[in-house]
Amino acid sequence: MTKKLILLSLCASTILFAQNGQENTPTAQKAVTFDQKSFLPDIALILDSSMVSRNVNNSTYESYYIPGFSTYDSDKEAEIPFNKERGFNLNYAELALHSTVGPFFDSDAIFHLKPDAFEIEEAYLTSRSLPYNLRTKLGKFRSEFGRINAIHQHAWHFTSQPLVFEGLLGTEGINDAGVQLQWVLPTEDTYVMAGVEALQGNNDVSFGNTETNNLYIGYLKSSFDLTDDTTALAGASILHGKNNEGGNTDIYGADFTLKTSLEGYSSFMWQSELLNRNKETATQTLKQAGFYTQLIYQYDQNWATGVRYDNLYKNLDTKPDNLDKYTAMLEYKPFEFTKFRLQYTYDKSKVFGLNNKRKNSSEILLGVTIEAGAHGAHAF
Amino acid sequence: MKKTLLLLTLFSTLTFAKLNVVASYPYLGEILHAIGGDNLHVKVLASSKRDPHFVIPKPSLIPSIARAKLLVANGAGLEIGWLPPLLKSANNPKVRIGSEGFLDISRAIDLIDVPLSVSRSMGDIHPEGNPHFVTDPHNVLPMAKLITEKLIELDASHKKEYQDNLTAFSQKWEEFLLTFDKGMKSCQGKKVIQYHELYNYLLKRYNIESVANIEPLPGISPSSKHTLELIQKMKEDNITTIIQDPYHEKKTAKFIADKTNAKVIILPHDIGSVNNTKSLESFYTTIEERLCH
Repeated sequence: MTKKLILLSLCASTILFAQNGQENTPTAQKAVTFDQKSFLPDIALILDSSMVSRNVNNSTYESYYIPGFSTYDSDKEAEIPFNKERGFNLNYAELALHSTVGPFFDSDAIFHLKPDAFEIEEAYLTSRSLPYNLRTKLGKFRSEFGRINAIHQHAWHFTSQPLVFEGLLGTEGINDAGVQLQWVLPTEDTYVMAGVEALQGNNDVSFGNTETNNLYIGYLKSSFDLTDDTTALAGASILHGKNNEGGNTDIYGADFTLKTSLEGYSSFMWQSELLNRNKETATQTLKQAGFYTQLIYQYDQNWATGVRYDNLYKNLDTKPDNLDKYTAMLEYKPFEFTKFRLQYTYDKSKVFGLNNKRKNSSEILLGVTIEAGAHGAHAF
Repeated sequence: MKKTLLLLTLFSTLTFAKLNVVASYPYLGEILHAIGGDNLHVKVLASSKRDPHFVIPKPSLIPSIARAKLLVANGAGLEIGWLPPLLKSANNPKVRIGSEGFLDISRAIDLIDVPLSVSRSMGDIHPEGNPHFVTDPHNVLPMAKLITEKLIELDASHKKEYQDNLTAFSQKWEEFLLTFDKGMKSCQGKKVIQYHELYNYLLKRYNIESVANIEPLPGISPSSKHTLELIQKMKEDNITTIIQDPYHEKKTAKFIADKTNAKVIILPHDIGSVNNTKSLESFYTTIEERLCH
């Protein structure tokens, strides 16, 4: 009996071995016929959620507006994209796909999934092979004027949008359908880049006349090293378009960033941006402006802290011009793709429509952001 | 204004005659100098004072990439956190990944430590294998040969010069390796711990056993639990050498050294990362002297 078993198992193992040997022959095919796995795009999932404590209750908070910049409409649902509720918020799950379409174009698509919405945040083609250091982009994309507009929320240093961007461009910023052309000038060590964009003008806070493509943006950016460890980046931009009150809107922007690397992983980064808007209506030209300035100290690979000051210093004659906001944050990254952030905000810019009172609000927020999957590195 | 323009055009015509080459790290710049000589205009992107994984992608690095005919990268994932956004901004199809002007030097090396499976739960792991092959001087010649081939491909008019330079460099380097190997002999069989697996190629070649790392997983900062386990292990195995790179925090290594009476040795990971390591020879000689003498 045992002998038979041994014989059988010997037989079986020789057969198995023989099969194994066959599999290892060099003629064996590596991939299944017509397999397309190697052409799959890079897929990344970004999750952002938070825990909020605020001295304004939710229904009052949802009625806020910035006097002179936005209004309260009790019939319309408030547009508060992040951290709306006291308590827990799932802000979004973002799905980002990046793929090379062919020799001539790359494609990117970023989908914002919210508990009750699916949004195409961006979807565009980028050229790969234009000569003379030119590059073009077409589709729906975040405009690259200034500094923060093109950066996704999960890569911001503070969880909230700068006041001047919310006031002049709304919570979305300029994120529109159109075309872009950028040119890196053939300079030696100083980076100079010129860009122009033609967009539809869907941003109805400043523009919004979309009878035809009505928004034109131009910008110039330059960067150079002051020392081996200190880099400056400066930019100037113009946005010209038609607003939905029948006139033209012009926005002039300036931005300046200075980054100094200290020993190891630590660094200081000072970043400021200013926007100045002239909006023509049927009767007058409304002039408004604001800026933010922020200082970030990166202590090591894990810890960073920062402060930001926001100010809307120019407003309509009848509206307050002392609208400002203070923000401070402490950031902990146990791993490159996991971020915890504690943020405190003292906000003097909001009027609450529900009781029509201007009230200074305080907010403490603990946010978590993760980047999973194949996510490309962030630019400077 | 006119003067600057004039200077700019003058400067660009001067550099025009040379082949514009960008190297991601200083050691690659040095090999390019040795092979390319005066025919190249070489710009090195990263400073060796900092972590090669986390170089700040300064926009001021973009113009040199925009101008380049050739970009030489370490590859094996080392630049993944900083080079792609710079390449994208430079709008230069000549040095785009996969094009003729992009050279991934890791192709010249048989990579070690290739993980059987990959997950981010293992920390900042490199799926292609260990990218820190520059710490072994025996890897220099294969890299120099690949660079020579690429330079000849892109600039055939100077073929003979590149070949002659390679021959001269190879001769010099083989002699250097003889001395280096002799110097490393006394180290064989030694047991060490290191902060990050930066020196595996060197340690493997000279039979030095790397027992453990100060970081619990690649890219994860030391934890007290892991550090205490490490101290225990070092006492048990009688390990008296801690290899530390110049850019990570040195507090943990010092703490471990105090508890175990081990010696902390700071080894350069690239040329110029510690004093007196400006050339390839002095870089490796410093490694040998600090580790084995």
